[in-house]
Amino acid sequence: MVTAINTGDFKSKNSLIATYLIIGGLVIAVMMIFGILMLLAQGGVLDLPPAAFYQFLTIHGTGMIGGAALAASAVMWYFLSNYVELSKKVFKLNLILSLIGVVMVIIGVFSFKYASAWTFLYPLPALSGGAWGVTGALLYLVGMLILGVGFLLLYIDTGRAIIKKHGSLGKGLGWDVISGKRAEKDAPSPTVVASTMVTIVNVTALTAGATVLIMNIINVVNPAFTFDPLLAKNLTYAFGHIFANSIIYMGVIAVYEILPRYTNRPWKSNRPFLIAWTMSTAFTLVIYTHHMLMDSVMPKWMLIMGQVLSYANGLPVLVITAYGALMIVYKSGIKWDMASGLIFMSMFGWVVGVVPAIVDATIVVNHVMHNTKWVPGHFHMYMGLGAVVMIFGFIYYLSKVDSGLQTNGLDKIGFISYTLGIISVSVGFLISGAISTPRRWATHFPEWMAPAVFGAIGGVLAVLGLIIFIIHFIRYVKVRGISGSDINEQKLA
Amino acid sequence: MVQTVAWIVSLIFMLLIAAVFGFVAFKSKEKRDYEPIKKKWYKARTFYGATLAVVMLVLTIYTLRELPYNQPVYSAGNDPTIVDVEAIQFGWKMSETEFKVDEPIEFHVTSTDVTHGFGIYDSELNLIAQTQAMPDYTNKVYITFDKPGTYEVLCLEYCGLAHHLMIGKIEVTE
Repeated sequence: MVTAINTGDFKSKNSLIATYLIIGGLVIAVMMIFGILMLLAQGGVLDLPPAAFYQFLTIHGTGMIGGAALAASAVMWYFLSNYVELSKKVFKLNLILSLIGVVMVIIGVFSFKYASAWTFLYPLPALSGGAWGVTGALLYLVGMLILGVGFLLLYIDTGRAIIKKHGSLGKGLGWDVISGKRAEKDAPSPTVVASTMVTIVNVTALTAGATVLIMNIINVVNPAFTFDPLLAKNLTYAFGHIFANSIIYMGVIAVYEILPRYTNRPWKSNRPFLIAWTMSTAFTLVIYTHHMLMDSVMPKWMLIMGQVLSYANGLPVLVITAYGALMIVYKSGIKWDMASGLIFMSMFGWVVGVVPAIVDATIVVNHVMHNTKWVPGHFHMYMGLGAVVMIFGFIYYLSKVDSGLQTNGLDKIGFISYTLGIISVSVGFLISGAISTPRRWATHFPEWMAPAVFGAIGGVLAVLGLIIFIIHFIRYVKVRGISGSDINEQKLA
Repeated sequence: MVQTVAWIVSLIFMLLIAAVFGFVAFKSKEKRDYEPIKKKWYKARTFYGATLAVVMLVLTIYTLRELPYNQPVYSAGNDPTIVDVEAIQFGWKMSETEFKVDEPIEFHVTSTDVTHGFGIYDSELNLIAQTQAMPDYTNKVYITFDKPGTYEVLCLEYCGLAHHLMIGKIEVTE
């Protein structure tokens, strides 16, 4: 690992990283509470008015994606800045714009009753059936736009820095190594490769997102301006699918960086690794059509490709990244602690969460499972047990190398509680999906209630675990810089 | 039922993955040189990767044989009943709601306002077919009910505050 020279730089960098992570972590925890309340309402335990339910639904989806993306971008920035020269000003600007966006979204949802869900499918923002007005819609949509612009600037900067160091984004993905023009030993590090992929897909996603947000904003202001709802849907899912997916591709950088330190085994880019990441880049950009398998007016070839490429997109993670993680840990004598345990668990979460996704990407299955609770079953596992665990694994790692802060039995309880909690939430959703429970319903028929209650109990366990993680992180922020520093990074293995 | 197969297949693969991760975690306490491990498991990866790709290819071909988008081939004199469906916040307008068992039906589904989801549930609340109800577009559902009973049409795309109340009824008789 390349280390910085100036101690002041490190403190300032880690302070910014800590700010990102603490905001992201707290947002995730609060959003989990909204999630529990929704499950309790669906389970018939809590009497929640539908308006409140759908406002919670909107804030839960927006907040989870936004909070996790914010924290995951900090993970990426922390490690990528060791290889290329990133702009701290842009990183700060993203945080500021994100906060402005979040405040606008919160005001739009809770003060002006805006509740379009985070997918804001055109023309729902303008046609609420009298539930919310122009102000609420504009606060939400403009807030999302500001958030998106912040992230777009961040990825333009990562792209700029990668191009400056490596020559092009193609070289950042190691295409010159794949083609044999450059030796494998000179290949870009896994962190650079993953960051290049995220840069490419997220610049695309955020451009699509900004386009559809602006179109919706104009439609809200002037309903006489209309546009093609199918185009809008394509843009919305191109944005939503890719941006949500990118969270795990940013988070996995923590896996590439942390596991080698704990096992004393290298994790370097080789040709299969680079090919896998190029596959992930291409597939992630185009497989959003698996969200539109029930739009038979779409060109049939696009829908078939949606299934075929969704299957194929499982290969890079199943054959390269997860396999690599298993290989590096196998008979390594690894020292298990909170950081290494969470990082290993996150790879399990990613892989296990891919299974229901691939199943649901099958057109004949999607025909009877699309928009049932099977879908949140997949992404709660993938995000809750994968991406979010990568982020918290990184937090424990950072607190260890930057402060020498010790963990205790409570942290272990948090680990168990969180893991069991998220598994229960996900299994509750999957069972609900298997019995055809629709997603995004404020109330359930009695037949559908039990798995929702089971999921809510799991959610409580997960929140308890998360609170323990956050307490540890707050303790780190308090002692940071007093005991130890990552300039003298401890030997972990 | 497709849902049961999906659930069982997913469960088997998820448990298999859990077993592999559990085994590696269990074996992680031993310490061995990495080079021989890499050599052995890179070789195994080629086999594993190829097997996985072949399995996925076979599953792809198998599951793509019959798609819900394809109009069935109707026998002579057995033309389908065309049902025009219009979704509107927050209800369903259907040109017909009473059908016979074994009667081929085509639901032509659109929306007058926002996007909705047209989901047909049988009397045991199992989802048996669906499509999106989009403004400006018409999606089709091809179905032949094989059991009599009361079927329900539920909205499967979030469309506003009364989304969960958007329920229609279909009667199928012998």
